Formats: sequence, C-alpha cells, structure tokens
Amino acid sequence: MTGARPSAALQPPADTRRIGRIRSETISTAAIFALTIILILASRFVSPALGSWDQVDTIITLASFLIVVAFGQGLVILVGGLDLSIASMITLGGVLATTWNGSLGSEWVLIPAVLLTCACVGALNAVGVIWLNIPPFIMTMASGIMVASAALGYTSGTPRGAAPDVFLALMKGSVGSVSAVLIFVLIFVLLAWGLQSATAFGRRLYAVGANREAARIAGVTTWRPIMAAYAISAICAGFAGMMLVGYANGATLRMGDSYLLPSIASVVIGGSSILGGRGSFAATVGGAILLTTLGTVISALGMDQGWRTVIEGAIIVGALLILREDLVARLRNRSAG
Amino acid sequence: MSASADAAAASVPGSNLGVAIRRGLTDGAGVVAILYVILFTLYALWDRSALTVSGVTNLSNNAAPLALAAAGESLVVISKGFDLSVSGIVSLSNVLMATYPVEGPGGALVSLMICLGVGGAIGVLNGILVAVLRLQSIAATLGTMIMGQGLALVIMDAPGGTIADWVSYTLTDVLFGIIPISGLIVLAVVALWLIFRRTDTCLGVFAVGADETAASLSGISVVRARFAAFVGAGLLYGLAGFMLSVQTATGNPTAGTPFLMLTFAAVALGGVSLTGGRGSLVGAVIGAATLMLLQKVLFSGGVSSFYTGIFQGAVMVLAIVFGSLISRLASTEPRA
Repeated sequence: MTGARPSAALQPPADTRRIGRIRSETISTAAIFALTIILILASRFVSPALGSWDQVDTIITLASFLIVVAFGQGLVILVGGLDLSIASMITLGGVLATTWNGSLGSEWVLIPAVLLTCACVGALNAVGVIWLNIPPFIMTMASGIMVASAALGYTSGTPRGAAPDVFLALMKGSVGSVSAVLIFVLIFVLLAWGLQSATAFGRRLYAVGANREAARIAGVTTWRPIMAAYAISAICAGFAGMMLVGYANGATLRMGDSYLLPSIASVVIGGSSILGGRGSFAATVGGAILLTTLGTVISALGMDQGWRTVIEGAIIVGALLILREDLVARLRNRSAG
Repeated sequence: MSASADAAAASVPGSNLGVAIRRGLTDGAGVVAILYVILFTLYALWDRSALTVSGVTNLSNNAAPLALAAAGESLVVISKGFDLSVSGIVSLSNVLMATYPVEGPGGALVSLMICLGVGGAIGVLNGILVAVLRLQSIAATLGTMIMGQGLALVIMDAPGGTIADWVSYTLTDVLFGIIPISGLIVLAVVALWLIFRRTDTCLGVFAVGADETAASLSGISVVRARFAAFVGAGLLYGLAGFMLSVQTATGNPTAGTPFLMLTFAAVALGGVSLTGGRGSLVGAVIGAATLMLLQKVLFSGGVSSFYTGIFQGAVMVLAIVFGSLISRLASTEPRA
C-alpha cells in the first residue's frame, strides 16, 4: 500500500504538530473566554443587576478558589492522573488554618506549616500512584476519605477558631478601588501559567504525561514531575481552603465538597486531555470562570442546586465529545498530510 | 494451609487438586473468602448474637446493596474500565422509590422495574459514550455520575420520604424462618453470573479487558463486549439502589455517595484486577461482604465512628497492593 506512493515516502511532510497544537489551544482559550463574556452580557436579560462591573468582580472573587484548585488538578491531569482528594484537602487547609491559628505564634509560621502538611499528603498520593501502581483516582479517593475522617476526628465534628488575618485581608480587603483578591488572581494566574508553559519543569510535566516511557528514555527522572504535580495540587487545595476560611471567616467540614467536581470540569472544558500530556492553564482559568458565571446565572434564574449539578455533568460529557471530534479531525489531517 | 497446598502441588507436578487449590488462592476470591471467615470468627467471638438468625440476616441486609453494586462494577473493571456512575444511579433509584412508594408485591415489582430502568438507561448511556464513542471511561462516567446525582437532587432536595412498608418489611425478612431474602437476591445474581460466564459475550468481556487489540483481531466485537459490561453494571447498580432503599426505608439524595469508594475497594479486595481481564463477580461480592463486616468488627471493637474513614481508606489501598502482589505471584510462577 505504501509502496504505491513512493514520493510521499521519500519526502516526509513538514512537522506541523507543534504549530497545530498551539493554534488549537489558542482557539479553544479564546472561544471559552468569548463564551464567558457573552454569558455575562446575556445575563443582563435574566436580571438587570447582573452584567455590571460589580458582578464581574464578584464572579472573579467566587472563581478565585476554583482557579487555584484547578491549577493543581490540571497539573495532576497533565501527568495522566486525577486528584479526587481535593475536597478533603481544601477542608484540611481550612480546618488546620483555623485550629492552629494563634497557637503557632506568627501567621508566617502557620501558613507554611499548613501547606507543608498538605504537600505531605500529596506526596503520599504520588507514592501510591508511582510505586504501588494504584490507579490515581482510587489512591486519591482513598486518601481523601482518610483525610476527611482525620479532620472529622481531629475537630470532633465542629471546627473552631477564626481565620488568619492575612486571608481576611486577602478576601475582604482592597487596594485602591480594586479588590485585593482580583490582584491576587492575576498574579497567581501569571505565575502558574509561566510555571506550566515556560519552564523546564513544565515541559517535563508535558513529556511525562504524553508518554512516560519516552520521557524516561529522553532522560527525565519520571517520578519527580509526577510527585511534584500531586504535591502542588494538594498545596493549591490547602491554600484555597485558607482562602475560603478568609472569605467565610471560619471552617466547616464539608467546605471543600463543592469544588472537587468543578475543578475537574474546568480542566476538561479548558480542552486539556483527560489522558494527560495536553492542555493549557489559560484555558482552564477560562473554564473556571465560565463555570462560576454559569453558576451565578443559574442561581439568579431561581433554579436549584440539582439542575446546576446536572448541567455541570452535561458540560463535562459535552466537552469530552467535542474534544473527541477535534482529536479525530487532527488524526485525519495527520494521516492525510 | 496454603503452604502445605503449595508443597503438595510442587511435589506432584500436574496434580489436579494442587492446581485447583492454587488457582483458587491466586484467583483472589479464595483469599478474600478466607479473610471473611477469619473476620467472621473474630466478630462472633466478640458478639455472640452474630450466630443467630437475626444476626446473620442483619449482616446480609447490610452487605446486599454494596455486594450488588460491587458485582456490577466488577463487570466493567474486568472489561478494563472504571464506572463511577454507581453513586449517581444508587442515589437516583433511592430517591425515586422514596418519592413514589407503591405498596404490596405488585408495588415491589413496579419499584424494582423503575430502579432497573434507571440503572439500565444510564448504563446504556455509559455504553454509548465509552464503547461506541470511545471516550475514556473515568471521564465519561464521571459526567453521568454528576448528572445522576443532580437529577436525584432535583427530585428530592433534602433527605425525606418513605419506602412502602410492605416492600421494606418483606424484603429485609427471612424466608422459612432461616434464609435472609436479601442474601437470596445476591445469590440469584451470582447464579446469573455463573450462567453468563458460559456465554460468548462474557468471554468477549474478559478478552477485551485482557488485550483489546488481540480480542478485536480474533473477531470479538469490542463494542458489544464493552456495551454489555456497562449495561449489566447499570442494571446491577439499580438493583443495589433498590436493596439500599429497602434497607434504609427512607430517601436521601446523597445515599449513593459512599458507594463510589466502597465498590472499588470491594472489587479490589475481591481479587478483580484493576488493569482488566481477570477476576470474578463472586470475588467482588465476597469483597463487599468483607468490607461491611469489617465495619461491624471495628464498631464492636470500640473504634470511634469518626475514624471509620481512615480504616476504609487504608483497607482499600492495602487491598489493591495485596491484590496486585497476588497476581504478580500468579504470573511469575511456572505453569504446573
């Protein structure tokens, strides 16, 4: 069959895969932000209070938790895993921040201590996934249940204590006329995007996620980026927990539950491959903002939590289907070209 | 026990009994059955009521929903997939039964049909997404799980409602004063499995799980095998939701959430290989029974209910590590 086209065999087509990837990522990022803006503008029809600058500010504040969590989830998905311990890690971050608040002296000891505890749990997840060969979603689900149960026992059912002042200032304060959390989100997104897209570490994550064996042969010590991804995910979740505590001025044992599934949904809507090795954080941020906007519109319409959940599930399946078609088209192009 | 069996098998190469015992042990179902017996002995020593008819009925009623859910999950896992929709289906059927209670034997049948219908429908949806459209099973079933949970919340936004009295009393009762009905239902599913094992479709499920390309090259319809696994799983989750409602006698839109982790723990504990192609529904059922028994043992051992999650998580991780160790031993030992 191949012998029938000798010219094609002699002159291999130029490698356009990288350009193709960049183009498709830019397009999907642009599309998702455009969709968000349209949704915000359209929400004016639902209620005149929506669609204003204040609402944008509120949406970014509400989305900030999801953006931070989704960065970690995105890294784990990028290396071919899935982190289901996020809900418990958010709770752990919040519970530790309030219970340890005041007992560790300075807040600048408290915050690293909480984040370090979270990182340890994340590293344990990685140990199970890498060396014990436990499927990622089972390992993280098990550690999630264990952490949740530990938090329940540790607080005897009712978390006590107040939020650290730093997080109260972050979530409630403002710099000039701009709220502090908006600035924080901007800085976080820039740093996180830089880490994932412009560093050698980021490239190793992509390499390990796309093909672990190939990455190993190319000289990447494959366990390191994988362990880093799980640890960063746990740290992000713990940090989001502290942000939530600052926002609500107190911790509850179920505070993380409503962020687990949206974190996965944001990453998937953002066009990352659930199989790993493909995705961009910019699009994930778009996905997180889109989901949050959708949530506020749905509540403004007076629809209950149930429908919101149904729509979230449908969005995940829909995004998977669209991405699949994308994949098929690209494969077809490659074999034709 | 196992050491002497191994020795016998080694000294008499080709000994049928030795091979059979060894296969039983490395199958996983045998190991978990031994574990169950040990745990049950412990439990009976602690709590004498375990040996009475009501004690056994209690255990059986407790374990039946999880056993049925794990049975369904084992089908998908054997075909090399993961099905997260179990918690959505269990919640949805529980909520439907509590919202529309129907009395009498006819009512039980109607409710059962509704549960099987819900499970079957979501199973078909999963089958289309995973088998036909070739989406990754975790992601696709995550989507259907969320939709199922959402629909359960739409139907009932807070715990409430009641299951028809006749249904919940009769199905948790004992037959002829000694046989728990819930146990009979699980046994019926096991019997169906033993029949299913002889069909070509089941062979296809195992073959696809072991090596999809090889299966497809040998003329097995990969789509059909996967589809069958998801639909069968969906029906069994519906049945699990039915039995859970019968047992709790009330509705709860998040009733299915604990099932997600427990079914995978039960499947892993039951020796079903999480990488597909090996295992048995029977193992998953015994695995589920062992998990529920473990909870009882922990309770009667005086462990605070706060900490049961830690034990469940640990058991789950240990079960998987243990299971993969056993299968590694089985694959490296020379053929007898």
